[in-house]
Amino acid sequence: MTTLIRKMMTADSDSTLLVKSLQFLSQRAKAVVLPMVGIAVFLVIWSFAANSIDTSLGKFPGPKAVATQIGNLYHEHQSEREKEAAFYQRQEERNAKRIAKDPGYQPKIRAYTGKETFLDQIGTSLVTVMSGFILAAVIAIPLGIAVGLSKTLNTAINPIIQVFKPVSPLAWLPLVTMVVSAVYVSPEPMFAKSFINSMITVTLCCLWPMVINTSVGVAAINQDWVNVSRVLRLPSLVHVQKIVLPASIPAIFTGMRLSLGIAWMVLIAAEMLAQNPGLGKFVWDEFQNGSSQSLSRIMTAVIVIGFIGFLLDRAMLQLQRLVSWDKESANR
Amino acid sequence: MSILLDISKIDMVFPTPKGDFTALKEVDLKIKKGEFISLIGHSGCGKSTVLNVVAGLLQATKGGVLLNNKEVTEPGPERAVVFQNHSLLPWLTAYQNVELAVKQVFNRKMSKAEMQDWIEHNLRLVHMDHAMHKRPDEISGGMKQRVGIARALAMQPEVLLMDEPFGALDALTRAHMQDSLMEIQDELNNTVIMITHDVDEAVLLSDRIVMMTNGPAATVGEILDVKLERPRDRLSLAQDAEYNRLRSAVLTFLYEKQRKVENIPAQSSSKKTGETGDLQKVDNTNDVDVA
Amino acid sequence: MFKTIFKQPKHLYRKIMGQALVASLCLSSAMLANHSVAEELGYPEKEELKFGFIKLTDMAPIAIAYEKGYFEDEGLYVTIEAQANWKVLLDGVIDGRLDGAHMLAGQPIAATIGYGTKAEIITPFSMDLNGNGITVSNEIWKQMKGNIPKRPDGKPVHPIKADALKPVVEKYAEEGKPFNMGMVFPVSTHNYELRYWLAAGGIHPGFYAPHKGDTSGKIDAEALLSVTPPPQMPATLEAGTIYGYCVGEPWNQQAVFKGIGVPVVTDYEIWKDNPEKVFGITKSFAEKYPNTTIRLTRALIRAAKWLDENDNANRPEAVKILSQSNYVGADYDVIANSMTGTFEYEKGDKRAVPDFNVFFRYNATYPYYSDAIWYLTQMRRWGQISEDKPDSWYFDVAKKVYRPDIYMKAAKSLVDEKLMAATDFSDLTGEDGFRNPQTHFIDNIVYDGSKPNEYINKFSIGLKSGDKI
Repeated sequence: MTTLIRKMMTADSDSTLLVKSLQFLSQRAKAVVLPMVGIAVFLVIWSFAANSIDTSLGKFPGPKAVATQIGNLYHEHQSEREKEAAFYQRQEERNAKRIAKDPGYQPKIRAYTGKETFLDQIGTSLVTVMSGFILAAVIAIPLGIAVGLSKTLNTAINPIIQVFKPVSPLAWLPLVTMVVSAVYVSPEPMFAKSFINSMITVTLCCLWPMVINTSVGVAAINQDWVNVSRVLRLPSLVHVQKIVLPASIPAIFTGMRLSLGIAWMVLIAAEMLAQNPGLGKFVWDEFQNGSSQSLSRIMTAVIVIGFIGFLLDRAMLQLQRLVSWDKESANR
Repeated sequence: MSILLDISKIDMVFPTPKGDFTALKEVDLKIKKGEFISLIGHSGCGKSTVLNVVAGLLQATKGGVLLNNKEVTEPGPERAVVFQNHSLLPWLTAYQNVELAVKQVFNRKMSKAEMQDWIEHNLRLVHMDHAMHKRPDEISGGMKQRVGIARALAMQPEVLLMDEPFGALDALTRAHMQDSLMEIQDELNNTVIMITHDVDEAVLLSDRIVMMTNGPAATVGEILDVKLERPRDRLSLAQDAEYNRLRSAVLTFLYEKQRKVENIPAQSSSKKTGETGDLQKVDNTNDVDVA
Repeated sequence: MFKTIFKQPKHLYRKIMGQALVASLCLSSAMLANHSVAEELGYPEKEELKFGFIKLTDMAPIAIAYEKGYFEDEGLYVTIEAQANWKVLLDGVIDGRLDGAHMLAGQPIAATIGYGTKAEIITPFSMDLNGNGITVSNEIWKQMKGNIPKRPDGKPVHPIKADALKPVVEKYAEEGKPFNMGMVFPVSTHNYELRYWLAAGGIHPGFYAPHKGDTSGKIDAEALLSVTPPPQMPATLEAGTIYGYCVGEPWNQQAVFKGIGVPVVTDYEIWKDNPEKVFGITKSFAEKYPNTTIRLTRALIRAAKWLDENDNANRPEAVKILSQSNYVGADYDVIANSMTGTFEYEKGDKRAVPDFNVFFRYNATYPYYSDAIWYLTQMRRWGQISEDKPDSWYFDVAKKVYRPDIYMKAAKSLVDEKLMAATDFSDLTGEDGFRNPQTHFIDNIVYDGSKPNEYINKFSIGLKSGDKI
């Protein structure tokens, strides 16, 4: 009898387990299947639409054309890497020959002069956006904290921020370019001017949302926390470090996510406009080429740009979850 | 016993767009070492303002506060505050919240190990040693308030200032907290000023109950000496004649002598802006709990 | 990727490996070293160079010099970068972002005389002859076609003159519609060629008056010319912003392929074997880095020779290189149309034009003074040079900008080092820099570079001696 009951109980718990795991699976399945369906429907609509749009450069690229281009671009990248290896090989031999003839010669290895592949351009854009973003954060977060803490400073700086905030960083681009070429002169520059230009443009567009969000976050700190700090007589620096900074982390991250999103969009446009290396230049060059493959390459770039933008945002979100005490704000 | 804290004829005037608003007028109170004082009065009468002036968070317009004959000009850990809504830093664990205070107050006076012992001791005192590595959002409201008290106690203050410390808690938790507080008080015999709305709480905990008149220009109305034997037990006190006399004395003060007349449409005031809330003369008659 | 960010290579390990290799080779070759070569061309002073270009097939010598390793043979490590438009390219060379560039012949000349940005730019190397065409939109072509005489097979007789366009322009004028056309730059070959062709057909392309601040070139104009970057020409034509344009390849053939326009005339027909692009560097670059200058000229000469070798035998390979996305990037077929000796006019009307792109034949690479002077005469003709200048001024400017001395040093050392044969340059011994009077213009006016003022006075449309706007 008892064994029977026990059996029934185990059967029962087994079945609840089963039900539970089924529920879990169906939830999982929903999370996986629904986006899949969405993507599939999108792909079908895309390929139909693509088929019915004729441009002077041929049909609008569909999913298949893009897939082919991804393959092509990867192969191009690989063959370029082979060429690069050969380039260095030749250079070493040439240096060796010259040393033989001219023993005083200090051999030098010059960087590869070949073209940037699609993957190189992705890397360049990513490095540029991250450098500009980090530079902006280094400037904007302390500035935002200062502005948030001091009403005087806030009143003094606010009009400037409000005027510059709505300016498209692209409008700055010509000025940035001219100033960089006037100011950034060194015989052996560490960074390429084009990189500096793009980076500063990114910095300019990241700056305002970060300053504003940080200062708002700092100004809106719970007064009780400030009082705690006052009662403890925390020195200003400790106050900023232990109270202000952690308290405004959610607001700072909101600003950072906002500006990284804008920065990525602006960078692509800036690269197109200024012909600075990166994905934007890739798109523009392909547009200028006007070959039968151009549109599908541009479409590939568009998708890759979107995908990277999405990943950047996700990465920021993960970082926020990791750093911020306010788990709620990371889900917004 | 000598006077530890001398609140000497303080006036508090707030400038407003409609002209000056006198919140406090000649509030005068002398407190001895080891005394437990409750401040009771209707909402908006300026209890929090008094507490904030003592804490040094606000500066009195006239008069001043002397602690050990030294004038109070700024906040400091010798006047630790337990805020109404615990005000723990949410990014720190219970332990770290207390640690922040201990590190600041006992910097170079204690070794690392001593500090750790001291922090743990204070958390044990409020029965929070089991959850000291939890963050505020992982513990209940009562527990948060316990940590808040532990933090204040850990500063070894000369005066402990408590602004409606149990106001946001449910009745059961509140009773529990009051018992804990009495236990601690038995052991440490701190000088305490506590603001409360709760008549029973005031009678149960205090040595003296300071009843404040309604604002504007609120001041000390009456002072009631509570000469009940310690340790006090809430159950036996319920039958106690003296207890009930004191209780009704407070109620009489509040509901007969200082009955509030509603003439300004009620506005909601947030607890956060406690001191400015006093400006708005907000009142609701249910404000004082008669539990 | 990293070279776009870091200027200095970071391959330390390569350096170490390289030095090891060097050391081992040093030993073996020290014994073999031959120190007999006297007056050898020195090593380049500057080895890492960046050259700019516009996406046009006539940039080929730069691409070929890179791809065939001619630059590296000279110890030059060259990065080649497409530029957005001619202005950006010129500014790049002037401000040092670029070491040198594929330029419109008019650019170094205009920069030197201060029309536009003033800067001393020189050219030791002329990049090609011919290579441009004039394309009109399908709509205009329909209206023009009736005015063109037909061959027995029904196809239009070439060259098509602007006379056929004149009634169309007049019709638009009557309707009050401005007749807009595109060219690539105010001092571009294309501007002068388009103007030459229009004026030869009696259509006034308008004067410039820079002394009055008017640099739009539309004074008295019947056809209004404006600037559009070459790669955008087809798109602008398709959008209807312009009715026709003059541009280099592949942008005329692109219009045929896309079916949006019809090339009507090539510059070969307007002026047979006209000089076109040059390779421009700043004067200070040439003075600071004389060996680099000679060496890059050598590489370009070899590339040009390769392009024309064995009767254009290498052209298909060249087309393949140019169709790479980092060079011209257009489809192979589009580029091949003009580069391999044919030119497609109206769809299906493909004609042989073996000399459409000339890179080396007919001394195409030699920087003739007379070529510079022709551009100066056209600048004067259309008012970009607002005042009369004596003949001697024309010669002086030409000698400042065009540098056959550098070219000859490069050529001589190539022959000395047996990289090229003396016969490759046989015509140039004793060259004075002036071509013989040239007769093959569409309006049959003869050009003699030694008499610029006399030449200017021959045109019916255009400023003459003493004219001022």
